[in-house]
Amino acid sequence: MDNQTSHLYFAGIDIGSTMSKAAVVDAEGRMLAYVVGQTGAQHRLRANKLMEDTLHKVGLPLSDIAYIISTGYGRVNVPFADKQVTELTCHAKGVAALFPDVKTAIDIGGQDAKVLKIKNGRLVDFLTNDKCAAGTGRFLEVAAETLGLDLNEMGNISLQTDTPVKINSLCTIFAQQEIISRLSTGEPLPDILAGVYIAIATRVVKLARQLKVEVPVVFTGGVAKNAGMVKAMESVLGVPVLVPEEPLITGCLGAAILARDEAIKLVQRGEYQAHRDKKLTEARVDFGEKSR
Amino acid sequence: MSTYYLGIDIGSVGGKAVIIDASRKIVASSVVPSGTNYSTTAAALKEEVLNRAGLKPADIKASGSTGTGGRNAVADSYHGVIVCNARGVNLVFPSARTIVDIGGQGSQLIDIDENGQVINFNISEICATGSARLLQLVARILQLNIEDLGPLSLKSTQPSSFSTSCTVFLETEVITRIAQGDKPEDIVAGIHRSIADKVSALTRGVSIRSEVAVIGGGALDIGLVQSIEDKLKLKVLVPQNPRIIAALGAALIAMDRSN
Repeated sequence: MDNQTSHLYFAGIDIGSTMSKAAVVDAEGRMLAYVVGQTGAQHRLRANKLMEDTLHKVGLPLSDIAYIISTGYGRVNVPFADKQVTELTCHAKGVAALFPDVKTAIDIGGQDAKVLKIKNGRLVDFLTNDKCAAGTGRFLEVAAETLGLDLNEMGNISLQTDTPVKINSLCTIFAQQEIISRLSTGEPLPDILAGVYIAIATRVVKLARQLKVEVPVVFTGGVAKNAGMVKAMESVLGVPVLVPEEPLITGCLGAAILARDEAIKLVQRGEYQAHRDKKLTEARVDFGEKSR
Repeated sequence: MSTYYLGIDIGSVGGKAVIIDASRKIVASSVVPSGTNYSTTAAALKEEVLNRAGLKPADIKASGSTGTGGRNAVADSYHGVIVCNARGVNLVFPSARTIVDIGGQGSQLIDIDENGQVINFNISEICATGSARLLQLVARILQLNIEDLGPLSLKSTQPSSFSTSCTVFLETEVITRIAQGDKPEDIVAGIHRSIADKVSALTRGVSIRSEVAVIGGGALDIGLVQSIEDKLKLKVLVPQNPRIIAALGAALIAMDRSN
């Protein structure tokens, strides 16, 4: 690292359908801080607040951040980002940063599921499901709502059993009804919950098998925070899965590392200052328009 | 002494019962929510329909049950819902050759012959898309009664279009449309179109042959019926009480078997 870039910091921000996340890395690509919050309806406000909170955590002003990449479903709503990158690229980068040997990454988010094949830290193939709520975090939310339980609580209760019921409904809507009828026929709650996790895992593993599952498998996304879900995923896959300490942030971490790569490229080409000036001018124009 | 026949259909949303006499005339019918205990629902339904007809259990010569929860009903025989729908429609509309059933758990397309025998059918039951379930959901979000959706939808001039067909994601998209200022009538009309699209996708392997009868809870919604007519480009027949057709069919089959 030359001394032109060694003092710089970089940020990634991931506006997901349910949760938003931001991370700041240094010139070595080491993560200094991250913040996670609900996305809500106002993406721009959320993006601003999230960036502010993350900077506050590391004690840096926005002007010290050399480059910012936005990703995720709401990535167009991050006005201060230098560049937008798809979540698949960012996830692959983030997962490989945490687990350099990773071959398969499974990410279950609030509204979608993705399976990524990664080779030598690079994304080589992927499949996603965003057409149907089954096999996404939404399925869990519906189940939690139906049962009046909190998502974490649900995971812990499910761990109390080794005899999950088989949820026959594939569709989230029908599964909701099936859960109610299972309860009414007296099936124990832990068995029903464990069955719900198995149902999601089965759906996602089916997607993963189309790309061939190779170990090590990393499991990320909000749904990977759930202990019941991790257990179900391992039992359906038949292999252990690695879960990052904070499974939500692989996307924003990848975005921050890509921001670092991008900025270093600009510096090496001697184009960084021009990029910076252009960005400042754009910001001034924005400001001018707002005050009129 | 005259004889009577009972048909009971326990569906995913509603339980229905029909009593017919020996001349196949409907004497009484009843519709209740299915609830979670199908046996109890079936027993209560039977008692209610008998009361309405002014009959005693002993007046029923034979009974048949059908539907998701139909095996929980005490009856002389159980029959598949497709066969029951075919027989029921054939009695009400002898000229009908295709049946579109839009129920709470899915939709069906059934081709029948002039005797009410099934020639071919397609069902969608894996996914809630194309079922009447979506109507309940939209009514809840828009804070409307499900009965009001049809008349409201007919007022629409610009039906909303939706990017997803998953019922769960549609819920979110409906909320987004409300936030964007789409009118309730346009949202409902858009949902009707979306169901009609899914129903018409069932035509693979089953031809639409005139005349077409639309039955099931979805047929109560005049806006949905209109969307199906637009999609199929023909007029459809709707029975006066479209929800009881499978129960009627079960009663007819029970009658055949007892004679």
